[in-house]
Amino acid sequence: MKNHFTPRFISSAAASFVLGLVATTPATAAVSDEDFNALKAMVQQLQQAHDQDQKQIQTLQQQLGETQTLATNAVEKADAVAVAQATPPRNALHNFTMVGDAEIQYAKTYGNGTHNGFELADFAPIFLYRANDSILFEAGFDIMLQNNSASGTNYYKGVAGNSYTHDSGSSTSVSLSFAQMDYLVNDYVTFVGGYMLLPLGIYAERNAGWLNKIPDDPLGVEFLPGAGAGAQLRGAFPIGESGQMLTYSVYAANGPSSVDGTGNAYTLDGNGNRISNLDLGGNVGIQNDGNNGNLHSAPSGGGRIGWFMPWGGAGAHKDLELGVSGQTGSWDDAGSYMWSALVLDGALHYGPNFEVKGEYIDTMYNTADAGTIRPWGAWVQAGYKLAGLDWDMPIISDIELVGRVDKENNGLNGGLGAETRRYTMGYIYYITNTLLFEGDYEFIHSCMPGSSPLTANQLIFQLSYGF
Amino acid sequence: MVGRTGGTLSLSKPKFTINSMKPNSKHSRPLIHAALAALALAALGGLVTIAQADDSKPAAPKKLTGAELYAVNCNRCHPERYPTEFNSAQWQTIMIHMRVRANLPAKQAKEILKYMKEESGN
Repeated sequence: MKNHFTPRFISSAAASFVLGLVATTPATAAVSDEDFNALKAMVQQLQQAHDQDQKQIQTLQQQLGETQTLATNAVEKADAVAVAQATPPRNALHNFTMVGDAEIQYAKTYGNGTHNGFELADFAPIFLYRANDSILFEAGFDIMLQNNSASGTNYYKGVAGNSYTHDSGSSTSVSLSFAQMDYLVNDYVTFVGGYMLLPLGIYAERNAGWLNKIPDDPLGVEFLPGAGAGAQLRGAFPIGESGQMLTYSVYAANGPSSVDGTGNAYTLDGNGNRISNLDLGGNVGIQNDGNNGNLHSAPSGGGRIGWFMPWGGAGAHKDLELGVSGQTGSWDDAGSYMWSALVLDGALHYGPNFEVKGEYIDTMYNTADAGTIRPWGAWVQAGYKLAGLDWDMPIISDIELVGRVDKENNGLNGGLGAETRRYTMGYIYYITNTLLFEGDYEFIHSCMPGSSPLTANQLIFQLSYGF
Repeated sequence: MVGRTGGTLSLSKPKFTINSMKPNSKHSRPLIHAALAALALAALGGLVTIAQADDSKPAAPKKLTGAELYAVNCNRCHPERYPTEFNSAQWQTIMIHMRVRANLPAKQAKEILKYMKEESGN
């Protein structure tokens, strides 16, 4: 085979290579120094920008990390708060609440020689301690400063001859109204134990100063024990979804007792005056000698059944409540004589501005020397809020007119005992929803066989506050 | 007022009793027929009333909310207390107190408590 790489071919290729080099050299040399420097400056600027971006990215990454840490901490704190709320601390003050009422009274009594004056200052706190969602301890006290002059319902307290001296002075008392434990056993049964308000009628459990629309108690309720030491089961059964319900209370409590232990109608006090032997308060607690304080033979039993029916819808404020209650048990030490009570109660609201309520109280107790004594009483009370007139006058609209008719007979002296009739009219001015200024005038007439009739009308003003 | 004087109740006997319709009376049979006819008419009237009631059944009462139950129950005894007067924990304590004192059904008490806690703002 013939060799094609001849010397002539090699020289031609070398010449072409040299020409090529010569031809390309002028193209490289065409970039000027200015362009080069500009390009270099641009590269340097880009480099600086890149460095700044890197730094900014690092800063942002750092801030992102801190934000994530904060978010994580916040979530942990929120979780901790949720756990804490789910299991509230057993702080003694956390579940402690105080409610109650306070009153100031000014009275002018006509017809029995007394002068007008501030006759009462009352502070009645109720301490509530919730141990858990089912157990509540509650205790109510009455701290009162009261003039010892004749006032209120102190008419013929059982016997004639009671009188008040001019300088009888004032007294301060601290009394225990109730002290009880409430245990919500289930939706329908609540156990109550201790010194309880007794559900004899509706007044005993709903008579706080700012709830009662007239400053003093209705006649007749003084024949009932307002509270008693014992145990109680109570609850309510709803009927349908309209708010209607049946309520019940059944209890055993130390009932009324005998002052001297006998079943006699009367006994003598420390001054030798004849007084009623019936002690409605009963004997409570342990005596100084360590014996059981309940001297009479056995606890009394009692209860109340009530029916509550609203109608016309929630905004109508129309409802009716009816109840029957009673208590019976022996009151002397030997257990030979019984004390019993029957109370019928009713309350009607017809619209948001009108209400009427009342009770009929019938009690009786057998005695060794005076047969059966039957103290009884009845009261009816009505109120009308002038807001119902739609007069668009704020002061007028904050007034409620009230009236009451009540009567009682203590049943002593063979059923012809002291009888009192009273007619009361007045007003309530609602300064706020819990601060009330009340004024009432009472026409009072009492009579008792062998004594002159007593007329002692009374004007009462009361400032009461519920808290 | 109760119609009672001197501590004794007086209940007067009704003037007409079932015993006053003597079986041997001449008019006993017509009286019985008339009484049966009256009973039949009363029963018919009752059936008509029931039938009419069935034709126009009233709407079932709606379930009351906590706010409505509060208005129905609490204002019976005292002026309205505003939810903001107490905090949630205090309302929880107070509602047990009021459930016992006013003998409120458990469901209603829970609905009222839920409303008071929600509106208390704390």
